[in-house]
Amino acid sequence: MLEKEKLRKADIYSGFVIFLFGLFIVLLAAKMPMKDSWGGVQNVWFVSPALFPLFVGGVIMLMGALLTRTALKMAGIKAFAETVRWLASKDLFQFLISDSVIRFYAIVVLFLSLVYLTIPRIDFFLSAILFLTVFITMFYFDDDQLLKKLFYFYLAGIGVLIAYFALGLDAVLGRFVPFSGDVLALCFILAYCIYAWRLIRFRPPLRKKYRTSLIVAVAAPFVVCPIFKYFLLVPMPTEGLIVAVLDYFWYFEF
Amino acid sequence: MLFIERLEFFFQTVFNLAADPFHLAILIGSVMLGIMFGAMPGLTSTLGVALLTALTYGMDTATAMLCLLSIYVGGTYGGSYASILINIPGTAASAATALDGYPLALKGEAGRAIGLTTTSSAIGTLISMLFVVSVSPIISFFALQFTSFEFFLLAFFGILISGTLTSPDLVIKGWISGFLGLFLACVGRDRLQFFPRFTFGIPELDSGIEVVPVLIGAFGIPQIIQVLKDRFIIGEAQKFQRILPEFGTIIRNIPKIVRSALIGVGIGAVPGIGEDIAAWVSYGAAKNTSRHPERFGKGEITGVLSSEVANNACVGGAMIPLLNLGIPGSPPAAMLLGALMLHGVTPGPMISFEHPNFIIEVAAILLLASLAMWVVGMLMAKQVVKVLRIPTQIFMPIIGVLCMIGSYALGINIYNLYLMLPVGIVSYFLIEMGYPIAPLVIGVILGPMADENLRRALMVSQGSFLPVITRPVSLILFLIIVWTLVSQIPFFKNLKDSLLAKILPRRFRKSATVKKD
Repeated sequence: MLEKEKLRKADIYSGFVIFLFGLFIVLLAAKMPMKDSWGGVQNVWFVSPALFPLFVGGVIMLMGALLTRTALKMAGIKAFAETVRWLASKDLFQFLISDSVIRFYAIVVLFLSLVYLTIPRIDFFLSAILFLTVFITMFYFDDDQLLKKLFYFYLAGIGVLIAYFALGLDAVLGRFVPFSGDVLALCFILAYCIYAWRLIRFRPPLRKKYRTSLIVAVAAPFVVCPIFKYFLLVPMPTEGLIVAVLDYFWYFEF
Repeated sequence: MLFIERLEFFFQTVFNLAADPFHLAILIGSVMLGIMFGAMPGLTSTLGVALLTALTYGMDTATAMLCLLSIYVGGTYGGSYASILINIPGTAASAATALDGYPLALKGEAGRAIGLTTTSSAIGTLISMLFVVSVSPIISFFALQFTSFEFFLLAFFGILISGTLTSPDLVIKGWISGFLGLFLACVGRDRLQFFPRFTFGIPELDSGIEVVPVLIGAFGIPQIIQVLKDRFIIGEAQKFQRILPEFGTIIRNIPKIVRSALIGVGIGAVPGIGEDIAAWVSYGAAKNTSRHPERFGKGEITGVLSSEVANNACVGGAMIPLLNLGIPGSPPAAMLLGALMLHGVTPGPMISFEHPNFIIEVAAILLLASLAMWVVGMLMAKQVVKVLRIPTQIFMPIIGVLCMIGSYALGINIYNLYLMLPVGIVSYFLIEMGYPIAPLVIGVILGPMADENLRRALMVSQGSFLPVITRPVSLILFLIIVWTLVSQIPFFKNLKDSLLAKILPRRFRKSATVKKD
């Protein structure tokens, strides 16, 4: 949580955003049937589906406004002006590229890419291994310069994957190479591991961490996922290369 | 059911569960897992229950409850390990324990402190179990007299009180958080007319927002971001030798234990208030009534005892409104509500008719969980403490994968992941800006209840709000809500303080609260 003084400054804006959000809810709720007929039922205001959202939206608006007012009263107009000046200054840019904020970007990008890019398209085991390899090495090395380099490399790889799927290359290549998306992800994991190794190979303490990271990144999905897949009979979100191999052994298809 | 029959069923359930090796393995394993989740700074019992809910999908209700309640009990207790050994609370609930637990460890009495927390936590859970069994029929009887107005006001009160008491900053932020939760509950087709609300034409939103992914997102993702962004590192743990059960100390402090347990049960029963508040209030009460308040913070045994009894007593306390009213008493209880619904049990006043033995089963499970926790704590504490050596940078990403698979497995729906992540990221920003997350989750859970009951009540009264003041329970709830709101207005706050200062004796005036930091 932020410090008290910073909180009050942030409250001025967050209260305003919440007020707008409440207004948005009220406007959408106002379009819901209040007295009109819906599904053959003539509505009255007290059974309307709009009643509760209108109440919730109205209260959110009121509280947002109250929060902004309270924050302005406590922090003063001067603090508000200071924040506006800070937002328009170079300090904002410096803040946005500070180490802790880059760590935040790295975590969020990793999660976003896992949920919206790899899980729906690539074998879940591979998605998890890629996620864990990158996540653990980035943070376990505990070096912001290394983190940045690894993060940029990951961004480049993600860019390639996005282009691959967006251009429909998976459908084209899929006709010739089975599990082409998974093979690409596997290449990405290998390339990332080689790149990370090149960065830390002359630093013995990090070499141990590198080995640990890779072992955990590969072992964890192979412990967790089979429990869901084979014991709880939960199919993986995307089943590809690794699941096919595991199925082969699990069901003794040889 | 006659008392003797209930007692017979209780012991029968205990015996059946304890005699079955499969159940016993689940009990011990879940308690250990819970302790590990509690002991690891950054992980909580709520997250433990949330992640393990997916694994209970294929189990029967009793086994699932055994697993989840054991994690809850173990997680609440496990937080004390990190508090005592590294002075970093494993969970918020054990923050008060660190004040006196760590100084004890520095004096070379870590084993004694852990022994005491183990025994007192077990006692706290056992006392709360007694309350679950004895108070539930009474609450259930009264709840059956409730009409839609009372249920709406109860849900509304739950959100307000949760917002009031859990807000780390301004109270209004707690209320905003609760109402944001209510908004999330509005998404989907409304249950009375099936009108699509806030679905934006996305068919996956028609059935509404699933509670479990919201819970996992709201509690899991911000935790991962916070720990890794702020470079949280677990310190070196203090060494300890033998762990003693400390029965002598426990017997000498029975009145204090009973008081702490009552505080824990009472606070646990208030909707949405967690174990952390119970522990702080109990610690404050112990300090204010002590003959030697100056010893607190320097390794006072009573301090450790009071906070640990209270936070574990909160577990049973939180089960009382959950089982009888369908209103979770704490964040992990909110998760349990989701799990119960998955298993086809709808908690509420009708539970004693639909599942007549369910509350006794829960009490039996609480008894077994507290015994298992005591045994694991006494015999395996040294092994469990080893989890504190795992670097956060390694286990947090694994928790990330568990969050994904846990959200997905409930409903086998990838859309849950698309929902869970934005909720998690927004929750992180809300936490950073001082908004509590518990009211948001309580809002999501109580939203449908509030919405349906408000409209149903108005339908019966033909749009009149008069029953709110003509029905006694409604009137009481309404007045409490008005008081909760009004008491936050500065003018009334000052008036109340000046009146209290005139009425209360001096020794209570100075007590007020114990600062959390």
